[in-house]
Amino acid sequence: MSWTAVAKKDFRDAVQSRALWALLAVFVVLSVVLSYSYAEFPALVGGTEQATVGGLVFFTSGIVSLFVSLTAIVVCYKAIAGERELGSIKLMLALPHSRRDVFVGKLVGRTGVLSLALAVGLVVGLGLGSVLLGSFEPVPLVLFLVATLLFAVVYVTIVVSISATTGSTSRATTGALGFFLLFELLWDVVPMGVVYVANGFSLPAQMPDWIFPLMQLPPSSAYVLVLNALLPDLADAAPGGGVAGFDAFYARPELGFVVLGFWLVVGLAVGSYRFVNADL
Amino acid sequence: MAAIELDGLTKHYGDVVAVDGLDLVVEEGEIFGFLGPNGAGKSTTIDVLLDFVRPTGGSATVLGHDAQRESMAVRRRIGVLPDAYHVYDRLTGRQHMEFVVDSKEVDADIEAILERVRVLEAADRKAGGYSKGMRQRLVLAMALVGDPDLLILDEPSTGLDPNGARQMREIIQEENDRGTTVFFSSHIMEQVEAICDRVAIINRGRLVAVDSIEGLRDSTETTTTLTVTVSGADDDVVAAVRSREDVTSASLSGDQFVVTLGTDGSKFGVLQAIDAAGATVEDFSLEESSLEDLFVEYTTPGQEVEPGEPQAQETGPTPADSPGADR
Repeated sequence: MSWTAVAKKDFRDAVQSRALWALLAVFVVLSVVLSYSYAEFPALVGGTEQATVGGLVFFTSGIVSLFVSLTAIVVCYKAIAGERELGSIKLMLALPHSRRDVFVGKLVGRTGVLSLALAVGLVVGLGLGSVLLGSFEPVPLVLFLVATLLFAVVYVTIVVSISATTGSTSRATTGALGFFLLFELLWDVVPMGVVYVANGFSLPAQMPDWIFPLMQLPPSSAYVLVLNALLPDLADAAPGGGVAGFDAFYARPELGFVVLGFWLVVGLAVGSYRFVNADL
Repeated sequence: MAAIELDGLTKHYGDVVAVDGLDLVVEEGEIFGFLGPNGAGKSTTIDVLLDFVRPTGGSATVLGHDAQRESMAVRRRIGVLPDAYHVYDRLTGRQHMEFVVDSKEVDADIEAILERVRVLEAADRKAGGYSKGMRQRLVLAMALVGDPDLLILDEPSTGLDPNGARQMREIIQEENDRGTTVFFSSHIMEQVEAICDRVAIINRGRLVAVDSIEGLRDSTETTTTLTVTVSGADDDVVAAVRSREDVTSASLSGDQFVVTLGTDGSKFGVLQAIDAAGATVEDFSLEESSLEDLFVEYTTPGQEVEPGEPQAQETGPTPADSPGADR
């Protein structure tokens, strides 16, 4: 159980990151503005006449997923690479911790830090929203929190794992930003490219069904799917709620769990393998 | 059982050989100095003992456990002051100590240990604001937690002023008196000379000498070089001096007569001999070789150390002393 000591130390350390609290401040302001505008002008910003807590949840999920991904990068990219580059990892690994314990402790510690920031931001934003809407619906809020926490764990795992593959913070930065760029900003283009190539270098009139799961590969897309899976009633009511628009065993919101699970497993495997076998 | 046993330990980084077939035994209870110039392979060897790096060949055993396969068992019983480490800038000294106590799952009086290394008054300040010497003492305190059976100290005097270095030596001695084996590296002979029972000298990844300080002194016949300014000296005078048993060499160039003597050579006897042979001694100066000279002699690149045992004449770049630091 030596990872608990690592996690405790790591939480104490990373929670003091100024960049984290700066990002949180921005997030709190944004979520307050969003909650306020959704509650006051649902038709204008939300596209529905009837403002609900569920609608609010979906409305804020975009900014939440951006906050989680960016904060995970800021809080975690140096988690292991930074300690290796500076040499503080020598203090840690001179103690009876296996590399795997360090890796797990880092994941837990950084997840704790991100969850704390997330909790502060969400309580403020959604709390305000609930007050303005005059209704408090614990079930969707709790389910939203669960989904968001799961998403946060996955993102932390991805970024800590990228950090674990190298002893250079500049390479870790490149890796983490590259991941964000590829999967969060440019990913729409990739499935298109795959279809283009698969179709003999031309685009078909109708996109094939199998492009759907490929489109859901970014963790943030999977997060939206998970929200759809957990809050189906609300998802149908919310704008952009419907999912694939065709029937296939994979065209279901539960695919979101599979995708998040995929990233979790890949991250854990690659990160711990590289770290355990590295010369420090 | 040996505290540390290296058996043909070898570590390559690409084409660079950092450690080359090192065989070494450190007995329990001794203070062992691991000496070599920067880049000799000291830190790489220590990194293998801690499983920071994995050897290319050979093996290392610490307190009876394989340093790689049973690293956890090793690290439960040792205290380490690593080289080129960095403290956690945002954590206080006390939090550093709590981390060690949590990690080793031991009861320890954190304040007493911090007092001992004189960091107690700064215990609740963030370590990022500590001076180099305070950080070094904090990390020493971390190494002392849990009364380890073996202390591994990599360049422990780094960043310490002379007073701090002396306190470091006292603590090392105290720990050793309690039965702790101490293995420490240094590139300065003087530090090692003062407290070590035995010393190993390594250079370019190879062991060049292992012995007690006395043994090193004896085996090298600390020589004395006598430079005498003479007038009226000729070959007969040189021959007369050379014939003395305690003289290892004598040569005359102009009025400078250079004579080297063995360990128990009589300087006075030489001067008398010159005088007796008919030359006049105008002036003279003495130079005694020290262990420091021996160290320099052993570790100067390209120098033949022992006759008949050719040294590897690599002139390539020496490996960085701590490869971890520049990766």
